[in-house]
Amino acid sequence: MSESDTLLSCTDVTRYFGGLLALDHLDLDVHRGEVLGLLGPNGSGKTTFFNVLTGIYAFSEGRAVLAGRDVTRDTAQAVYKAGVARTFQRSRLCLSLSLFDNIMVGNHNRLSLGMTFNLLRRRAFARELEANFAAARDLVEVFSPALADRMNEPVANFPMLDRRRIEICRALISRPKLLLLDEPSAGMTHEETHQLMDDILAVRAHTPELAIVIIEHETSVIERITDRCAVLNFGKKICEGSYAEVIENEEVREAYLGAA
Amino acid sequence: MDAALLSQYVVNGLMQGMMYALVAVGFTLFFGVLNVIQFSHGDVLMVGSFVGYSAIMGVIAVGIDNPYIALAAALIAAVTLVGLLGAVIARLFVLPLRSSPPLNTLLITLMLGTVLRESVRLFFPHGSHPKRFPPLLPTDSIAIGGFDLRVDSVMLLIAGLLVIVAIHLVINRTRLGLAIRAVAQDEETAMTMGINFRFVVLVTFVIGSAVAAFAGIMNGLYYNEINFNSGLLLGVIGFAAAIVGGLGSIYGAILGGFLFAALQTVGAVAMPFDSAYKDVFAFTVVIALMAWRPTGLIAERVSERV
Amino acid sequence: MDNVSQASAARRPDSPQVITSLVMGLVGGALLTGFAAWFLKAESEYVVGFLLLLAVVGAVAASRLGALDRIGVAFGAYEKSLYAIVIAGVLVLAWIFRQDHFTLLMITTVMVYMLAGLGLNVQFGYLGLINLSGASFIGVGAYTSAVLTMHSAIPPLLILLIGGVLSALVGCLLILPVLRTRGHYAAVVTIAFAILFESFLKVNDILGGPQGLPVGAMSLFGWSFNNPITFGGFQASFYMNYLLLTLAVLALAFALVRRVERSWIGLSMDAVRLDETAAACYGIGIRRWKVLGFTLGNFLIGVAGAIYGMMLGFIAPANFGFSDSLILVSIVLLGGIGNPWGLALASAIVVILPEKLQMIQEYRFLLFASLVVLVLLFRPDGLLPRGMRNYLPGRKVAP
Ligand SMILES: Nc1ncnc2c1ncn2[C@@H]1O[C@H](COP(=O)(O)OP(=O)(O)O)[C@@H](O)[C@H]1O
Ligand SMILES: [Mg+2]
Repeated sequence: MSESDTLLSCTDVTRYFGGLLALDHLDLDVHRGEVLGLLGPNGSGKTTFFNVLTGIYAFSEGRAVLAGRDVTRDTAQAVYKAGVARTFQRSRLCLSLSLFDNIMVGNHNRLSLGMTFNLLRRRAFARELEANFAAARDLVEVFSPALADRMNEPVANFPMLDRRRIEICRALISRPKLLLLDEPSAGMTHEETHQLMDDILAVRAHTPELAIVIIEHETSVIERITDRCAVLNFGKKICEGSYAEVIENEEVREAYLGAA
Repeated sequence: MDAALLSQYVVNGLMQGMMYALVAVGFTLFFGVLNVIQFSHGDVLMVGSFVGYSAIMGVIAVGIDNPYIALAAALIAAVTLVGLLGAVIARLFVLPLRSSPPLNTLLITLMLGTVLRESVRLFFPHGSHPKRFPPLLPTDSIAIGGFDLRVDSVMLLIAGLLVIVAIHLVINRTRLGLAIRAVAQDEETAMTMGINFRFVVLVTFVIGSAVAAFAGIMNGLYYNEINFNSGLLLGVIGFAAAIVGGLGSIYGAILGGFLFAALQTVGAVAMPFDSAYKDVFAFTVVIALMAWRPTGLIAERVSERV
Repeated sequence: MDNVSQASAARRPDSPQVITSLVMGLVGGALLTGFAAWFLKAESEYVVGFLLLLAVVGAVAASRLGALDRIGVAFGAYEKSLYAIVIAGVLVLAWIFRQDHFTLLMITTVMVYMLAGLGLNVQFGYLGLINLSGASFIGVGAYTSAVLTMHSAIPPLLILLIGGVLSALVGCLLILPVLRTRGHYAAVVTIAFAILFESFLKVNDILGGPQGLPVGAMSLFGWSFNNPITFGGFQASFYMNYLLLTLAVLALAFALVRRVERSWIGLSMDAVRLDETAAACYGIGIRRWKVLGFTLGNFLIGVAGAIYGMMLGFIAPANFGFSDSLILVSIVLLGGIGNPWGLALASAIVVILPEKLQMIQEYRFLLFASLVVLVLLFRPDGLLPRGMRNYLPGRKVAP
């Protein structure tokens, strides 16, 4: 692939927790429009990679460049602004807020936040609200038309599958360049997992430019939706390549067997 | 300032630091096992001093006038009853709120403190008046160099030190202490290792509250007076001390307690303003410390897991 | 915008169901006003007890029969008319008790507490910043009004604003530690401030020390609020002045806080409260909203304090202690965190009940503290839980 195809380029990314080396000089590139599977046994540093990249934890060493811009020292807010949106391993929706509100949380950067606009210019506010409502509804509809009719219900009313969908919608509403999905199928049945993957493929078809990094354990899912995989073990990248290449790799087999 | 006055300030500061430290240790223990603030802790201390007072009055009413018997009765009654009170608070008010936001526990115990305080004021005979706590310890003093050291102060300080050593030993040298530390470290893993979580929590509350009861009696013996609303300020100071020490570290709490007493003493003695401003000074420093070190002087161990 | 899809048919403003709901809202308002008048008039403790029982039974029955929900629906569709009903209800009460100093003072005090409660509501209810020094900020407002009314020629209406601004500025002294800490750590900052402030008021010499200070009266366009109002041959207590002023200020503040909630600002604040980390990952500037909400809250609390000081005419440190801050927090918790209407109910309970039932006067702290304990255990959302956000209540077209 050529240079201009590279969306995110990470070099030497390292993170310590006290004496624990959670990420060990990790080099990883993500290309525009691809789906990259991030694999590895539990505790191998996958989530930590997302957390460091999105500015929740600081880099101990190394750097990350997104579309030509160094985001190494950026705050979580700045990384989001640069075009990286994510979901969390443990779903982190605002359960008492409505579906619509939750999606709007993800659209923060594109809302008008001024005091006069919000408090005094209520007509303008109403227009912006309606436009956003329509946009959110359209997005949710891609995932599930049934959900689109329940925009004002509190998220607490929905089952896990729908919550995952909502979380992904929240990440997508601001049209990020890079979407990070942290075990989107955790806590779901086999059936539900496959439904969710269909949704993700549908999103892909809608937005061919979007790159996705997905952490996932279910092999059939990985095989189906990823273009490329990288495998971590003890914070180190031990292998990178297509799914077929990766599962043939001796070190990868050992890592999984050793962990199991 | 002459040496005698100075020594008096030092002893007084040490005594207050000891009491604050004992209160702060309770906050830290509770926070360790449950990640919550038991804010009625100061009022639990006050209840301890009233229980002790009642026991002494009871012993005197029976006609025994040996001060050490009275003291023993006060200690036993206060430590057992208040230990029990701690367990009841944990069982009825703190554990049921485990799944709600942690601030709710702070609020419920804050209100519970008011309930305890008001109950003593309203239902203890003449509860709204300060009570004279009988001086049970010898009041003579030993002259060291140029100044007099009161025997009762020395005894109280040594007793406090012994309690701190005892807590240290329980936490670090017993199976129970191991269980407490395990729960504090990682509750889920501790449970999978067969530790009875609820039991550990209850025992921790018993220990912490019993220590507060001890501090309550110490308070009564030192000032010779107890008051229904003395617990609030002690609780606030103990909490501040625990926080400044960095919740979760017993030694931080002890450090915080003595630090706060030192601040008050410095505020009263060495600052260019009226000594009445000592609390203003001490709390201003606490706020400044929080701005400088948001998680306390001995920082909390881990960052939030995401 | 619709709240819940099933209710969407009922929510169209001109549907028959909504009209009946509006009628029910009207009847409810009238009943409530009548009840309040009777309650405030009641002298004997038996009558008060009976009325309390009636209120509880009535509230339970109304909620069982779904009347409360219907009124809620009507509120969504015809909010402005129902606000008018509520204001009219207060005015009717004011008229009934026009010569009764004490009752007018009580009603106004309820409104002052509500005003301060609105401030705490922004801080605690929306942002999740617990402020345990609410009474101290009331104190800043009240002492500002004391000093400025007695020692300056600044028009008193402006003094209300200055009281709010000073309170917000004093809050800025706390902003750094509040921003850098979370949860318990932030709570200790405000507790420390409450104690610091109380002991400062007691020991200082300039602000009257433990004895406190006299406060000058409010005056508007040359009309001093110490004068009794006369209209159409009737004379009303001078407290009527304060009642009307407080009602006007409260209505403004209420509208402001409602708009904050029903905007992207309120949404951002909710997101900060519910999950700071996730909010940061979606670009929400935590500090920006905390500074804004904390400052706005303290401003409202300070204005409440300035009015309160002028109305009382004399203030002392004892009014602004830590236990008074706890009472303020109790009001927010009792009413329902985040619901401004809950504040009305809770302030009324906290202010009026002990005055009416002299036998509980002595026990009131015990009673309220126990009540809050029970609420936290069994009804953590308060007596009137906050509803879903309704950005544009009463709009004809639902997006
Ligand atoms: N906030 C933290 N503090 C301390 N250690 C952490 C923290 N977050 C993760 N770790 C440690 O880093 C390692 C990698 O964790 P993680 O990235 O969650 O693994 P994965 O997502 O691959 O299962 C683990 O050993 C974990 O215990
Ligand atoms: Mg993970």
